Amino acid sequence: MSTNSFKFAGGRNSGAKNWYMQRITGILLVVVLIGHYILMHATPESGHTYKAVMDRLHQPAWKVIDMAFVTLGLWHGLNGLWNVIRDYEMKPIMTTVLYTVLVLIALVFWFIGLNTILSF
Amino acid sequence: MKVTLNIRRFNPEKDEKPYRKDYEIDVPETFRILDCLDKVKWDIDGELAYRRSCSHGICGSDAMMINGKNMLACQVLVKDFKKKYITIDPIPSLPVIKDLIVNMDSFFKKYEVVKPYLISKEQPPVKERLQSQADRELIDEAVNCILCGACSASCPSLWSNENYLGPAAMLKAYRFIFDSRDDAADERLDIVDTTDGLWRCHTIFNCVEVCPKEINLTWHISQMKKKCAMREL
Ligand code: SF4
Ligand code: FES
Repeated sequence: MSTNSFKFAGGRNSGAKNWYMQRITGILLVVVLIGHYILMHATPESGHTYKAVMDRLHQPAWKVIDMAFVTLGLWHGLNGLWNVIRDYEMKPIMTTVLYTVLVLIALVFWFIGLNTILSF
Repeated sequence: MKVTLNIRRFNPEKDEKPYRKDYEIDVPETFRILDCLDKVKWDIDGELAYRRSCSHGICGSDAMMINGKNMLACQVLVKDFKKKYITIDPIPSLPVIKDLIVNMDSFFKKYEVVKPYLISKEQPPVKERLQSQADRELIDEAVNCILCGACSASCPSLWSNENYLGPAAMLKAYRFIFDSRDDAADERLDIVDTTDGLWRCHTIFNCVEVCPKEINLTWHISQMKKKCAMREL
């Protein structure tokens, strides 16, 4: 701050695209989350036993929904965190390091998530 | 009426760090803060440095932080303040040159980034470039900006990231993007549709609160956000 070192980095990518993606993933997450709550917390008759859950996880449709849940959640959350980070001015190297860390977190958790879902 | 001005002083040639000093003066209640500063400078301490030119809210040179809020010293009266102990600081986030004078280089660099001039692809007309009343209404507020810097210097997004263009520069972008006589709207939208442009605005409204010309900056920024979002569809 207060160094007068302003550099305009713009012109690379549209911020509007990012804005849309954050909203779209957000809305989808709300839908999936409501579904999740109804299924897992509000309707005991849908079956919460180990066996019932396993049966669901064996159906391809449920696999797709769960994979979407993992992907959307990771993207929305980490992209949000990235936006917060970018609110602060930091050295380019620091930005690159933090970006790499976020991408790694995304990849690792995505892999674990997908691996779990697909192993049934 | 007795008034005490508590002014943040700093002379880089003499002082290691800024300090605050009280000045007690006796002035009519219709005096503006600028008149009070003049009185201090002329009668008490000739070294006090601040910018001023028109004294009538037109040139935008005397934006400063008075009682914690950015405003034009020539636009507020002593009687506007309940307590007669008034603090005066330079506008925040810009490097201080001396006392209340800040270096506005980065402010004007950002201003230049949005191409603050008419770009018309048409042959210049013999007389003037006409505009309908409805078209002019779109930029009625935006053209009133006097580039005092009060808004940008009050913006937390800009405090934490100096690369953010800030409200004043973006208002200028709006002023041309929505001007029916200008042909470079897309060019300018490309400039502001970036993470260090429009999308760094988190609608905090500090700029709106401080603008001495009562310009609703956040509304103008939102109009450009909308335009950028529509452009992507
Ligand atoms: S928009 Fe208002 S506060 Fe900002 S520079 Fe212009 S006149 Fe000053
Ligand atoms: S001195 Fe010109 S705006 Fe205050």
